[in-house]
Formats: sequence, C-alpha cells, structure tokens
Amino acid sequence: MCREFRRYLPYLVAFGAMGVVMAIRAAIPDSYYHNSPFLLGLGAVVLTSIYGGALPGLLCAALALVIEVFRWAPAFGPEELFNGALFCPLAIAIACGGGWLRRSRARGTAAVEHLREREAHLQSILDTVPDAMVVIDERGVIQSFSKAAERMFLWTAGEAIGRNVSTLMPSPDREAHNSYLARYLETGEHRIIGKGREVLGRRKDGSIFPMELHVGETRSHRYYFTGIIRDLTARNEAEARLRELQSELTHVARFSAMGEMASTLAHELNQPLSAIANYLKGGILLLRSNEPDLPKTIDAIDKAADQALRAGQIIHRLREFVGRGEIDKRIESLSQLIDEAIALTLVGPKSAGVRIQRDLDPAFDAVFADRVQIQQVMLNLIRNSVDAMEHTPRQELAVSTRLTDDDFVLISFTDTGTGLRQEVSARLFQPFITTKPHGMGVGLSISREIIKGHGGRIWAENNPAGGATFHFTLPLATELEHA
Amino acid sequence: MPDAVIHVIDDDDAVRDSLAFLLLAAGMVVRTHPSALAFLDNLPQSDAGCIVTDIRMPGMTGLELMERLHAMDNVMPVVVITGHADVPLALQAMKAGAVDFIEKPFGDAVILDTLRNALRENGKHRDREAERNILAERLASLSPRELQVLERLVAGQPNKAIAHELGISPRTVEVYRANVMNKMRANSLSELVRMTMTAHSDA
Repeated sequence: MCREFRRYLPYLVAFGAMGVVMAIRAAIPDSYYHNSPFLLGLGAVVLTSIYGGALPGLLCAALALVIEVFRWAPAFGPEELFNGALFCPLAIAIACGGGWLRRSRARGTAAVEHLREREAHLQSILDTVPDAMVVIDERGVIQSFSKAAERMFLWTAGEAIGRNVSTLMPSPDREAHNSYLARYLETGEHRIIGKGREVLGRRKDGSIFPMELHVGETRSHRYYFTGIIRDLTARNEAEARLRELQSELTHVARFSAMGEMASTLAHELNQPLSAIANYLKGGILLLRSNEPDLPKTIDAIDKAADQALRAGQIIHRLREFVGRGEIDKRIESLSQLIDEAIALTLVGPKSAGVRIQRDLDPAFDAVFADRVQIQQVMLNLIRNSVDAMEHTPRQELAVSTRLTDDDFVLISFTDTGTGLRQEVSARLFQPFITTKPHGMGVGLSISREIIKGHGGRIWAENNPAGGATFHFTLPLATELEHA
Repeated sequence: MPDAVIHVIDDDDAVRDSLAFLLLAAGMVVRTHPSALAFLDNLPQSDAGCIVTDIRMPGMTGLELMERLHAMDNVMPVVVITGHADVPLALQAMKAGAVDFIEKPFGDAVILDTLRNALRENGKHRDREAERNILAERLASLSPRELQVLERLVAGQPNKAIAHELGISPRTVEVYRANVMNKMRANSLSELVRMTMTAHSDA
C-alpha cells in the first residue's frame, strides 16, 4: 500500500503543483504576467521533474498547457500560440533533464550504499581473520589497527593509532624501523614489501613473540604500508616441540650408543687393568720370595706401565666417539641464529614471563658454524636458563655478542635464575651430570663437544647479582677467510 | 701336585701373559693358549691341573669350550674370568660347570686361592679315579665263580646260603672267599664292600 502510494506520489505532486499555479493565477491579475503566461507552469514543471522524474514533469507540463489553452481560449492569438509552442519543447527538455538528474542521484545513492556495504563486509572479514592488519603512513605512524591486531599486540586501536609502528617491535628493529622506511622511500629497494618474513613482535606488556609479516604498499598522493601479521607462536610451538623431540631422539640414540660404548669400553678397559694388577701382584710375589728375580720383576713392571698407557688410549677413543658427528660448517649470521633459537625456545607457558634483551654487535655477525649444531647449543643454554628462572621473580635473559682478543666472537647468555651450585659447577660439562629431575645430563656435555668441534670454548660462571652466565666462542667467518 | 698344569686361555695377549707371570711367580706350572680352539688342538694328555678361560673370545667362547670338554669327559675344573661380568652370564657359566666365575680385574689372592682349590679338587678327583681304576683291575682278575661269591658276600648272604644257592659246599665257598679277599687286597669284609661300591660308583 505504502509502496503503491510512493510510486504515484510524483504524479500527485504534479497535480498539486498545477493546483498551486492555478491558485496563484486566480489570486493575481492576469496583467501581471501576460507577457509570460507559461512562466509559473515552467516553474511547476522544474520542481516536479526534479522531485519526481521525467514522467511526472511531462504530466505537469501537459496540465499547464491544457489549463493555459482552455483558460485563455477566447483571447487565443498568435502571441499565445508562440508562447505555447515555446513552452512545449522547453517543458519537455526540463522534464527530461529532471529525470536524468533524478536517475543519477539515485545511482549515486546506490553507489554510496554499495560502497558502505562493501566496507562493512571488508571490516567484518578483517575483524574475523586471525591475521592482524596494521596500516602505517610513510612516517611509520599507525593509521589503522585491526581487531586481530588488538588481540595480538594487546593495544587497543584507539591507543595504537597515531603511535609509531616501532612500538610493536623489539630491539633492534624498534630503533631501526624509521631508517628502514627512510631507506625504502629513498631507494625504492624492496626489502620486505611483497615478501613474507619471520620477525619478532612486541606486545604492550613487553613480551616478544614470533610473527610472519607481509607488507603491501599503496601509493596515491602519499605512501601507505599495510602489514598483514600472523602470530607464529602456535606454529613455532609445534615446530619447537618437533625439534625438541628430534633432539631428544638424537640424545637418546646417542645415549644408548654411549651406553653400548660404555659397556664395550668397560670390557676393554678391564683387560689392561687386570694385566696391570697381575704384573704388579706377580712382581710383589717375586720380590717377596727368598731370592728375588729382579730382571723378571722389572720386566713385569715395565709391561704393567705399557698396559696403563693402553688403558689411556681406550679412554681417548671414548672422547673421540663422544665428539664425533658430521659438522657442516658454513658462514652464518650469528644474530639470525640467535633470533631463531630464541623464537624456538620462547614458546610454551614456562617462558611466557621471560624478557629477552639482545645486545648483538652487528660488526661481528658472520661466524663459521654448523647451523643445526650451534642452534642445538643455544637451545640447550636458553632452555636451561628458562628452567633456572622458573621460580625467580625476575625473569630476564640477556644475549650479547662481542669480539674477543683472539678474533673469536664471544656469545653470552646471562639469566636471573638460581645460578650454579658450587658442587655442580665443577662438573657442569661432564656427561650424565644433571640437576634436573628428568634430565639425562647430556645437554651441556654435548654442547661442549659441539663448541670444541668448532674450535671454540664454552664455560659458565655465576653473576655477582645472581643467576648464571654461559659463554661460548665461535671463530669469526671474516678472519677465517683471511687466514 | 708337581704335574698339575694351569692352562690359561685368553685372546688378550697382555692378560694371558700377565696372568701366566703371576701364576709362575706363585710357583704354579702354567701353559698359555691364545684361544679355546688352540687349546683343543693342543689338548694335554693328562687331566691333571685346571683351566682358566676368558668368555668372550673369537672362534670359540669359554662356555662353548666347557661344553666340548664335558662331552669329552675331561674332568679338569674350569675357572671363568671375564671383563664383562653380569648375572646371567655368571649363571650360564656356573650351569655349564665352571667352578668359579671371577671378574676382571681381580686380586692375586682371589685367583690364586680359587686355582689352588680347583687343583685340590682336581687332585682328589684324580685320586678317586686312580683308586677306581685299580679296583676295576682287581675285579677283572677275579674268576666268574669268585665274582658270583663276591656279589653275594657284598649282598650280605652267609656262606651257607651262598653254598646252597651256587650248589657247592660251604667249604668251597670259604676257599673262594679267601681268594677274593686276597685278590682284592681287602683286610676285612667291610673294606671289601667299600671297594666294590667305589668301583661301581660313577665319577
């Protein structure tokens, strides 16, 4: 009913407009406008066609024509004919123009409506996807911050918008991000745009998490950069678990191989040991006899000494066995090794409260190392630190690198944990020494063998302020190249 | 026991040589063999002495050697020495007939005491064996009739019953009995009984 009414409303308006025109004409003497009798009618046509479109406008024009013709029929002369002839095309043009205006206005409204709909749709998508979206301008100032970004970084959109995006990054990206932007704007060189990269993000509470970042750019009169961010914590957790299992498996395999080796070695060691005992005991028997046979005794003691050396060689073989393993050394970026190791270990509930401080010397970043083995060492050290800090109020792990006097890079992991007990620290790197309830005591001994295999050293000390620091050294890749 | 020889079997030159040295220093007679097979190839004529053997050896293990010796009725006691001692292995060795199971490295007192005991056992065993051989010889010298009389004497039958059973006079039984006592060099009936039992006993 209502729709029917709305459909015919423009026509009613046409009649109404003509009614108003007639009323005005009735109220005002003809002489006032006898030069332009169609002026009022034209006005009505303009209004009606703008409001109602072409057809109501034409209706209005027809009504005006009919009224003029019939009302002034007695005085119908050439002047009226001319006015009427002029009115008709004018009124048609106005009606058509009004109709076009109305249609384009309707189109405009529909386009705006459509746009609004799409935007709402897009927003709902952006709000639902787990990936966060952050838009920044060319100065790095956050322009838009999605719901997922709020959840991921713990900032609300209101807090985040207007801040520099570096707030969302840990060091060293935090300090360097503005220079990254400046470099891009200057050189146009793509470092991250168009490629996904794994980087570290920093939440409002200071905790750090691994994330995958894709950046796209928009260029109109200004640059805008859109970052799509995926939280890799869960994925890395799975990866870390997998890696943990693998390393455990390697440990177990090595452990059982060592057990077998130990058993074989026990047998092998018993041979020279029993020979030594026999020679010496026999020698004593000879010396105690009434007429000691000195040459024979000396010979026996000499043989006993040889057997002692043989025992030493067997032990040496054990050392070689433990230190064995394929080493695939390449030039690696130390900071990358460290970041990956941190990202791999800083997952899981235990490490949730641990704050990481990185103090890496970019000048000495290239080391000559086996990536897997060195990361194994770092994983061991970080995991030990996290374990040691499980119940301490302050949970901070500082990683630093610096050059030593002998052209090695010194990597140090300093924690605020419980530190090393006196009786443990002496035997820290020996196999099968552990302070953990379920530890096997192979982590640090294998770490030591790995670092030794790289030509470096590993040691530990207690910090004056509490906690422990583990250091190890690796050869600088540049020095090796020169050598 | 001047003729008792200790046979040392070990594939490890140092262990073999050093043990031989210790035993020599303790006044024992020693022969060394680098493997169980070498020992079997060069098997001593006499059972006098004992064997000290390692378990883990190439070719033939100490346990296999004991089985072979047992099958050959060799009575030399075997002492097992090993650098790889565990309970199942020790049990296996004792079941196979080892007189002792000694873990390397060992003190001189342990090995020497064990070997002296083994030699003593071996000596006693060989004495019994020798007596049985002598008695068997004496038994073999008896005539069929004398053997029949001996059997019944040992069974505790009086002369009359024996005479009745064999269909001869008691007087003749007495003659046979005197011959048996004489040939067996028995001083009394009870000694005769013991001798017969010894001769019929197993090792």
